[in-house]
Amino acid sequence: MIFEERQIEKNNFSSRAIILFVIIILGLFAVLVQVFTLQISGYNDYQLAALKNKNYTVPVQALRGEIFDRNGKVLIKNEPTFDLITQPNLIDDIDSFLDEIQPVIFLSESDKFQYKKLQKEKAFANKELVLKKDLSAAEIARFNVRSFNFQNAFIAKRYRRISDYPDIFSHVLGYTSRTEDAYKSMPEIPRSHWRDAELVYAHGLIKGRTGLEEIYEDHLRGSYGERVYEINAMGKLVQSLSITKPLKGSDLHTNLDIEAQKSAAKFLGNRRGAVVAIDLDSGGINVLYSSPTYSINQLSNGMNEDDFQILINDPDKPFFNRALKGRYPPASTIKPAIGMYGVSKNIVNWDFEIKDPGFFTLPETGRVFRGWRKGGHGKVNMHKAFLVSSNTYFFSLAYQADIEELSSHLTSLGFGQKVCLDCFDEDQALVPTPEWKYSIMNAGWVKGDTVNLGVGQGYLLVTPMQLANYASLLAKKGAFNEPAIVKQEKVKKSLKIWQDNKFNDSDWNKLHQALLGVIESDYGTARSIRDLKKFQVAGKSGTAELVSLDSKEAYQEVRTSELLRDHSIIIVFGPMPNPKYAVSVVIENGESGGAVAGPVAIEVLKSLINE
Amino acid sequence: MNKQIKKIYFDPYLFFSLFLLSALGLFFLFSASNADVSIVSKQFIYVFAGFVIMILVSQPDPDIFRRNSGFLLIFSLLLLGLTYLFGPEINGAQRWVRIGPFSFQSSELLKLAVPIYLSNFLFNKKLPIQRNEILISLLIIFFCFFIVFRQPDLGTALIIACSGLFVLFLSGLSWSFMGGSFALLILSSPFIWNILLQPFQRQRIATFFNQDSDPFGASWNIIQSKVAIGSGGLFGKGFREGSQTQLNFLPETETDFIFSVIGEEFGFLGVLFLLIIYLFILLRCFYLALNARDRFCRLVIGGLSLTFAANLIINLCMVVGLLPVVGMPLPFISKGGSSLISLFFAFGIIISMSTHKKFLPQ
Repeated sequence: MIFEERQIEKNNFSSRAIILFVIIILGLFAVLVQVFTLQISGYNDYQLAALKNKNYTVPVQALRGEIFDRNGKVLIKNEPTFDLITQPNLIDDIDSFLDEIQPVIFLSESDKFQYKKLQKEKAFANKELVLKKDLSAAEIARFNVRSFNFQNAFIAKRYRRISDYPDIFSHVLGYTSRTEDAYKSMPEIPRSHWRDAELVYAHGLIKGRTGLEEIYEDHLRGSYGERVYEINAMGKLVQSLSITKPLKGSDLHTNLDIEAQKSAAKFLGNRRGAVVAIDLDSGGINVLYSSPTYSINQLSNGMNEDDFQILINDPDKPFFNRALKGRYPPASTIKPAIGMYGVSKNIVNWDFEIKDPGFFTLPETGRVFRGWRKGGHGKVNMHKAFLVSSNTYFFSLAYQADIEELSSHLTSLGFGQKVCLDCFDEDQALVPTPEWKYSIMNAGWVKGDTVNLGVGQGYLLVTPMQLANYASLLAKKGAFNEPAIVKQEKVKKSLKIWQDNKFNDSDWNKLHQALLGVIESDYGTARSIRDLKKFQVAGKSGTAELVSLDSKEAYQEVRTSELLRDHSIIIVFGPMPNPKYAVSVVIENGESGGAVAGPVAIEVLKSLINE
Repeated sequence: MNKQIKKIYFDPYLFFSLFLLSALGLFFLFSASNADVSIVSKQFIYVFAGFVIMILVSQPDPDIFRRNSGFLLIFSLLLLGLTYLFGPEINGAQRWVRIGPFSFQSSELLKLAVPIYLSNFLFNKKLPIQRNEILISLLIIFFCFFIVFRQPDLGTALIIACSGLFVLFLSGLSWSFMGGSFALLILSSPFIWNILLQPFQRQRIATFFNQDSDPFGASWNIIQSKVAIGSGGLFGKGFREGSQTQLNFLPETETDFIFSVIGEEFGFLGVLFLLIIYLFILLRCFYLALNARDRFCRLVIGGLSLTFAANLIINLCMVVGLLPVVGMPLPFISKGGSSLISLFFAFGIIISMSTHKKFLPQ
């Protein structure tokens, strides 16, 4: 190659090398600009993204509030227990692990089976799984000595929701159970993190399901804390970064009275029925009892399937809350309401008398409505009609009633609607109207239907709760407090006033006198309970017929089938003349209101008055 | 003769900048590997061996490379053929030759052989180079590209193609020819996409153009890399403090994505410092190429240093999200012996060619 050609070649090379070098510089500059965009302009976003990657927030469960009776005695508390907790994801061989731990902690075959089943279903990356709940002191001691053998298991304090009166308060307090919806209370924590929640209850994330536990769930639950963990890309916890402590739920102070509730349970015994008692000053519910019952401790802390099936299939339906949902004909206990209607509508007054032959004949059809006593009660005015519970009197009064007016009068006394401010799943029962009958039965309202209402038979259905509410209205002469289980400061309450210009103070006094006579006079239908107590009590008993029969003889036949026997009902309030408590008692198929339901009501009253 | 033996051929600028880069590399690797001492020790041995090789390679007169370039190319291709037939399969690709405890990626040798062979083929041709010479060169480049590409190793194949094309360009390829080829490439791109690319390669490219499409699948790597770099900010989170790196959100921290580790833990300033070192090395190479003793040396220095630059820029652009993900290490920093040794080998050749002077023109 000659020199000139070499020089040309060299220049050519240089210019091309410069071009490529400039491209390289541009490439590096582009990278630098991109890095600047990421690190300086985008710093905040990427910083957050990096935190979101590594920070894993889990909820920390709070202890629920406790529930107290009106004297400050605890009804439901949190009881610490010690549970053996495992980390199944760290255990290689579940079977040999169980075999090794067997001599330390006694495990039944079903314990092992349950554990393996749960382990398969729920073993997530960081999930803890309880192997055995409620360890004995001996088991704890044995485990602690050998804990170095079991790196993947530890003993932790976990609480259980416990009542010292698990059976008698079951319907009113209610139970808790594991919930899958806990995440809804804290939307800022992603739902998937809830499986790693830090628990204080042996039963996991729990929620009130019935009773006060359900109604006051938000109040009792408290607020979840938050623990922030650092996790790696595989989702394994690396370390705990910070914790916000949970806030314990607030306690509930109720109007319930342990002693009175115990009396209700004791005197109702194993019969089916319900008792409701109301403190007339506050409207506070002192007793709310339904029989038969079940243990909330078992339900709240894990009941085995067999026991649960037994409860579910029990023909006496222990889960059914008769106090709030039982629909019963009020029978003669409705008579004060009918009397109030008669007076306020000028159909009758206290002096008006009829002759009671023991039955009432409906003029239109000649249909006969019988009283409870063959031959009747002779001359009967309203006072005597209450005392001897004359059906004929109230049949003929109701005969003159306008059904629309009578229905709205019954509604104004709290029937056909929910009356309790904080009861779980209360039933509104039924005040019948012609529209109701037409829509349900496709038949018109007939006069006989109204006549039946006069003695609380027929379509009218009430709950023990409504009866107690009605009794407190009667006791307070129309000005009464709405019933509530939890003490007033927690519940917005109002004074309910039943008023009618035609039903004045002297009418109220006469009504009280008559209802007092039902129990305290020699002629009263409930005089059998007169000597059970030292104070005076007013009330009205009733016997609700489940089948309509024309004669005593016919009833004797029906009676052989227990479930067709009459319901025994009573409402009482006392001590008179300044009543403090109202009580309603219903005993299914108990027959004869005064003699059967009466003593239960009196014993509850005695407990409340602290006699 | 005595005088020549005593003289050690040595470029202090390159030596010390490469020394600094390798030392930093070991330091970064310690963090990137979650303080795995065995990985860092092994890499240290590679670095040490690399320096020894670099110094040894830079001693003989560069004519030796010119004379043996054909042998080098054939040897590389044979080795590659053997790998293809007998090599162990790792991650679906046959790339490795095992020699004792060390495995060597045979395609690395081609990165050196292709530019040296083409430089030898073209250095004494008359300017402008003729069509036949261009076609033969292109054929060689394409052949080498294709066998590495079939391994499949798109990254290395691209680098090999670049290394050949750089030499061709520097030796005076006509502009009109380049324009025509570029047009042809654009036209044939559907064919390349559908026939030549593997499904996972297609997916990587699709992911690049829609980075939010599949944040937990295909886009995971690039998203986490950007989060790592971005969250480093100006000063970085500190040595061993990068959460993306240490908690394994960032993939391939020791190899392809080690730059993201540096970005996360040392921030913008750390990145700037690193880029300045690379720029300094490239500037030095550029200077040496311009001042090389003859056309052959110019072409080889230019080809090898541009290959190094391409390798660097493709890796950087990939991890910052400017290019689709192709497997390519960050030179002198990423874990791995093969690419490191071949880089030191290349720099040995560069030093050899820039330090041996010819006193008499040919």
